[in-house]
Amino acid sequence: MGRIIVANRRGHQLVEWDADTDTEEAREGIVEAERILREARDKGCAVSKKVGGQHVLDDGGFDPYAEEYQIIAPIAGG
Amino acid sequence: MVSFVEPLRALWRRVTAWDLLPTPGPEGSLRDGPVERPWRYYWDHLPKRTAGADFSARDYQQARQRAEEVARATLGDELWQQLMMDGHLDVPSHRYTGVTYRLRVGHRIEVVTAAGARSPWPYAYLCINPTYPLPELEFFAQLYLYARDREDTLVRVAAPQPWDQRLGRTF
Repeated sequence: MGRIIVANRRGHQLVEWDADTDTEEAREGIVEAERILREARDKGCAVSKKVGGQHVLDDGGFDPYAEEYQIIAPIAGG
Repeated sequence: MVSFVEPLRALWRRVTAWDLLPTPGPEGSLRDGPVERPWRYYWDHLPKRTAGADFSARDYQQARQRAEEVARATLGDELWQQLMMDGHLDVPSHRYTGVTYRLRVGHRIEVVTAAGARSPWPYAYLCINPTYPLPELEFFAQLYLYARDREDTLVRVAAPQPWDQRLGRTF
């Protein structure tokens, strides 16, 4: 089970998907997760990926077998 | 009169549905369903250190609790303990020798220089905010990732300031 931590004013909310189950619903979950990451990046967000137990900012493509992604807010000065 | 107003209303609904006009955050978030996607909206109109008029005291409390969970998970136990003990985390610059970014929750970054080192900025504090409202701890963990992994971005957007101050876009 993979998940995206969407950091927002609610603290964070989760988007989850299951890459190990071959059902229409599971496939849709993966497509939706990938879409959310792409949309966030297009809007200037960064994305971190949990690698070896640690979050690292990541520019790679969506990995459905990743354990966890996090959407990181764009930053601005002032 | 009704026949004149209704077409205008219909046109307005179509314009807003196409996202031709920027949408304010709290209102836009209601369209998102169970997961808010704040990058879609603008938030500059909100008063400092607030999350929107639709946010209750309980919403703030829950958001801060969730933020602590995710900040702790993002930083890992060792850094979290260090933050709790010291009240800050230091991230050495890979770009400027002898410069360290001192990150404090909800505050501007303090630029600390080693003896003999020179800061590239005229002031000791860097003001950096998220572009949408976030709980302080959540943004702290994110800023740590920027400082450690994307120093170029941090340097590009940082606004040097002569004094410390709480951030305006976190709560």
